[in-house]
Amino acid sequence: MKIVVDQGKCVGAGQCVLAADDVFDQNDDGLVALLEENPPSERLEDVRHAAAVCPAGAITVQE
Amino acid sequence: MALTVTKVLRSGVMSIAPERLQLPLPRPNILDLAPLYDVLRREAPIAPVTTPAGDPAWLVTRYEEVRLLLGDKRFGRSHPEPERASRISTAAVQDGPSGEYATEEADHARMRRLLTPAFSAKRMRMLSDHMGRLVETYLDEMTAEHEATGVVDLHSRLAYPLPVAMICLLLGVPESDHELFARLSERMANTAIGEEAHQAREEFFRYMVGLVETKRPQLGEDVISDLVRAQSEDPSFDYEQMVRLCVGLLFAGHETTVNRIGLGTLFLLTDRSRWEALVADPDGRVDAVVEEVMRLGAPGDLGLLRYAREDVDIAGVTIRAGDAVVLSINAANRDADVYSDAEDFNPDRPERTHLGFGHGAHFCIGASLARTELRVVFSALAHRLPGMRLAKDLDDLEVRTTLTGGVAELPVTWRSL
Repeated sequence: MKIVVDQGKCVGAGQCVLAADDVFDQNDDGLVALLEENPPSERLEDVRHAAAVCPAGAITVQE
Repeated sequence: MALTVTKVLRSGVMSIAPERLQLPLPRPNILDLAPLYDVLRREAPIAPVTTPAGDPAWLVTRYEEVRLLLGDKRFGRSHPEPERASRISTAAVQDGPSGEYATEEADHARMRRLLTPAFSAKRMRMLSDHMGRLVETYLDEMTAEHEATGVVDLHSRLAYPLPVAMICLLLGVPESDHELFARLSERMANTAIGEEAHQAREEFFRYMVGLVETKRPQLGEDVISDLVRAQSEDPSFDYEQMVRLCVGLLFAGHETTVNRIGLGTLFLLTDRSRWEALVADPDGRVDAVVEEVMRLGAPGDLGLLRYAREDVDIAGVTIRAGDAVVLSINAANRDADVYSDAEDFNPDRPERTHLGFGHGAHFCIGASLARTELRVVFSALAHRLPGMRLAKDLDDLEVRTTLTGGVAELPVTWRSL
């Protein structure tokens, strides 16, 4: 699995951090920062959830 | 109209009469919604309605469309001809179009850029110890008062002071003025005082101009100082826009989490098993409780307001450019197509998402602040006051006549029975 985040779209909601804080973080500007670009497959459900609840559609999961 | 629909419902014929529904739909109490929302979701998910201000609008009730439209750039908050736009209510917030039609998106992007760092989840987590200490102080005071009187008002002793103290700290606003701007916020959101709500908005604006100019010579590390700096450096950032934004943030700090703490307490205390489940494991359960309070808590009875920027065909209707659209977060969050036993308060539900903070570009900037406050409050209450119960029936509680809803009082007791 590969995750791509778009800081240009990010609105700093922090929903992804709530869904998977071992994969997503927020930088000093409050925007999405990727901690783990290729998380193990057992994280797929939470990562998919993070992408689904992102209010700005800034997260893409390539499986 | 409401009567007609009730009759139709009782006869078992689930259809909506062709006339426009009048908003707001009367609700049975502060926790439940009008049963008609369920019919609307199934039969007319985007329905023509008349707003409380008497103007035409579309009411969107299904999760799918509410979420879709919140994230759709063809809908905004401004209107090309604001004076001709439908008005939603007589309150002075979310009552009609706001912002400049031509520059709305750019203005909003700048605002997000300026505010996002200050309200990030990380910053809010750093504040949670401070919040925890504040809440302990409030609970000490409540306990002392309870010893003397046997009953204490959770609204004025906890639900109100915490969010107000936090927003004052973040914005750099003197807490000593809190009675003044609490009154102004209340009047701005009031739907029962007509033009006076707009007068309150003017007064709030003048108060904020005074505050901004007092702070200007010695700006600090707070959100209003940040905005004043940004505005003075950016010629395209209008002064009035900056002041309105400061008013909006201080207003939001008063009229949102305060009500949510009250509603959450009511959800928990009106069914003992909910409260006992939290008390049994406050730290393990509080996050899920907070999310369920965000899903089900329905302060106010309208929704988020948008105006179509172009003609849009959706769910069998055509929304014309300039039409007002009321997105019912309350109804969407109880959509049976999305949530199992949607009306039940169940923090253990498998569905992990809701629209309680909105969606899309306008997603609540204070979501992390609110979540942190709610967690601190409900976990502290469960730890310290496990025997707490309502001292007044739900139906006897005074409800505020504001757009943002909530209770005006919340007497609780933990005397032994």
